[in-house]
Amino acid sequence: MRRKHTLSDFNCVELKNVKFWNGEKFEARDSVYAGFANRKFAFCNKEDLADLTVKVVDCNGALVIPALFGLGLDFMEPLRDDVYTFNDGLDAMHRGGFFGGLYESAANPIDDCEKLSAANDRLVKDSIYSALAIKFLGAFSKDFGSDHLSEMLELANGLDEDDDSFEGVAGFGDGNAAIPHSRFLRLAMEYGKMTGKRFFFQPMDKTLRKSGCVHEGAYSDMLGMKGIPRIAETIAAYTVLETARFLQVPVHFKQVTCGETLDLVRNARKNGMDVTCDVNLYHLLLDDSCLTELSSAYHILPPIRSAADCEALWKGIEGGTVNAISMNHTPVREQDTEVNFEDSVPGALSLEVALSAIWNKLVARVGEARAIELLSTAPAKLAGVDVPAYEPQVGGVANFVVLDPNKAHVVTKSEFAGHVSNSPLLGKELSASIVGSYINGIWTEN
Amino acid sequence: MSALQIKHLFGLQGVSKQDIRTILDHAKQFREILERPVKKVPSLRGMTVVNLFFENSTRTRTSFELAEKRLSADTVNFTTASSSVKKGETLVDTLRNIESMKIDIVVVRHKGTGVPKFLAEHSNAIVVNAGDGAHEHPTQGLLDMLTIEEKLGTLEGKKVAIIGDIRHSRVARSNIWGMTTMGAHVTLCGPSTLVPRNTELLQYPELAGSVSWETDVKKAVADADAVIALRLQNERMDDALLPSTREYRNFFGITEEVLACCKDKVIIMHPGPINRGVELDSDIADGEHSVILDQVTNGVAVRMAVLFLLAGGRENA
Repeated sequence: MRRKHTLSDFNCVELKNVKFWNGEKFEARDSVYAGFANRKFAFCNKEDLADLTVKVVDCNGALVIPALFGLGLDFMEPLRDDVYTFNDGLDAMHRGGFFGGLYESAANPIDDCEKLSAANDRLVKDSIYSALAIKFLGAFSKDFGSDHLSEMLELANGLDEDDDSFEGVAGFGDGNAAIPHSRFLRLAMEYGKMTGKRFFFQPMDKTLRKSGCVHEGAYSDMLGMKGIPRIAETIAAYTVLETARFLQVPVHFKQVTCGETLDLVRNARKNGMDVTCDVNLYHLLLDDSCLTELSSAYHILPPIRSAADCEALWKGIEGGTVNAISMNHTPVREQDTEVNFEDSVPGALSLEVALSAIWNKLVARVGEARAIELLSTAPAKLAGVDVPAYEPQVGGVANFVVLDPNKAHVVTKSEFAGHVSNSPLLGKELSASIVGSYINGIWTEN
Repeated sequence: MSALQIKHLFGLQGVSKQDIRTILDHAKQFREILERPVKKVPSLRGMTVVNLFFENSTRTRTSFELAEKRLSADTVNFTTASSSVKKGETLVDTLRNIESMKIDIVVVRHKGTGVPKFLAEHSNAIVVNAGDGAHEHPTQGLLDMLTIEEKLGTLEGKKVAIIGDIRHSRVARSNIWGMTTMGAHVTLCGPSTLVPRNTELLQYPELAGSVSWETDVKKAVADADAVIALRLQNERMDDALLPSTREYRNFFGITEEVLACCKDKVIIMHPGPINRGVELDSDIADGEHSVILDQVTNGVAVRMAVLFLLAGGRENA
């Protein structure tokens, strides 16, 4: 039975022995307090919580990191609510330390305000969780991939006569579908330009992809698997950029997988275009040598590319070309993964394991401040979230995740919310562990 | 249980030289048995083998079935046409049902790469790959190696040219891994739309210096001791990869003109079925250099050896 949280559900916490992110660096603190004060969940003084029950957590020197923002969330509903529900997705966000995310449903494209309103009701208004900062990506075509424009003006404005607070979409994108043919692409961007919203694309040329399911390279060659060449991405990206340049529309590339696309982004920016891009967590963690395991757990689209591509993405992060790291959290039911690679349904869970998997690598490459930016503030900004989620002073907003960067752990099924566990990291050892998260006043201990 | 280092036969990539040697040596013994008036041995008596074929097959399935019967195993044939797979049963459910019938060995053919490994991970049975997509067809590779050893004495130092549709050929991949492990050099030749797209292939350390590429068929066969012509895998092509079979035959077919460029004692091989007049001219397929029917006979012997050794390698195992 779904119910709204009451104040008694919310927690006040005292985190002992932590390293606290003060906006510039981590500083050791004997205790950090968070709770409900001044009508918001905020960092507090001990005395602010004097009359309240306070949960005390000894963190053994773990890091208090600003909560994360997830680009690319799809919680599967309404197709399989016996397997995964919106609430499972929100549970995953709490487990992984996410204060918000950009939602886009592959199964149920948000192509009119009725669908936007329904998704907003389920994920934000009626959720058993306190409202997370969920933003929505609207489709620019009806049902994804059709030649019919969606009602972009209404989607952008969030037209809802019954609800004044109802927001419009953060931008437009047709899920992870390949880019449309050039004529419709132009029409969609031409019409959508009126909204001033950004267009989100996963650059993929469908004719070059065809039935490919893995990166086209040495491993696909020797495994006899149909590959997706890099040019399937770069040609699509180029087409989008040329159209965007012609129409002066801001665009975002989701899940860039190779250095050549980043080159296109850099060149477009040099020419004054408003272009942003993100890189998927797993494209930074894995390369296509994993294909030799022949496990459907590695079936992710766009595909996991070569070690050289992976390194090019890291260089793109170091050099600032990549704006954010995306999650692309996609539950897949077990029976769709318990098959051979080519017949399996692509997708991977990421919210619960993302921070533990990438934090140490990311910090080693770009430092702590940039790591936090890539996982938290930058993706939130791309989704149009303009209110702070973390203010490191007493009275400031307190949404954070506590991570022990030195506590390795092996990923088990129980780490994931819902009745799914489709992650390439399942069974793998991660170098860090989440102690817990504090999101909108709820302490979730792992 | 296995008399080999491997427990299952998924492919020839990663199979040791010692294991391949053991299989080929046993296959030679079984080949002799196949020449006897009584061709049956009791090696797998009491064991049950299921031939799980999700793709059409005549010669491979027949060859396996014959090998199983020569070893006195009980055999069950399972094809998608007669199975619940067509009714929507998942691969795992199919396997679990079959396994509950107490099957000892599963011989599987499937369009998907990695299905044999997947089945082995979900079953206690010994799994033998009879072809998984365009990945591997290890028993075909082994029978090709047996045929070359039989005709040329050894694989060590021999040059093998594989001509044709390499991109879609699981036979080619198994031959590349198996033959290079045994010391042969492999030259690959085919139209650019039918060969692997990435020369990174040569970066596999195991293949370094053992595999080369050639676009001119006459150059590819010039110093070859064995030439393997591959069938055009029309069923795996989802694009117009060739302008015409006529042009293919003229530039990549094994014709009398190409044969004239070969060594005098070259052997001509083909995994079958042959598209006569396309990848191989009829006169050559039936000619003095052809060892194609020996390959078929060796197929039974190799499959007997594989099943026998994976089951433990003991008489009455």
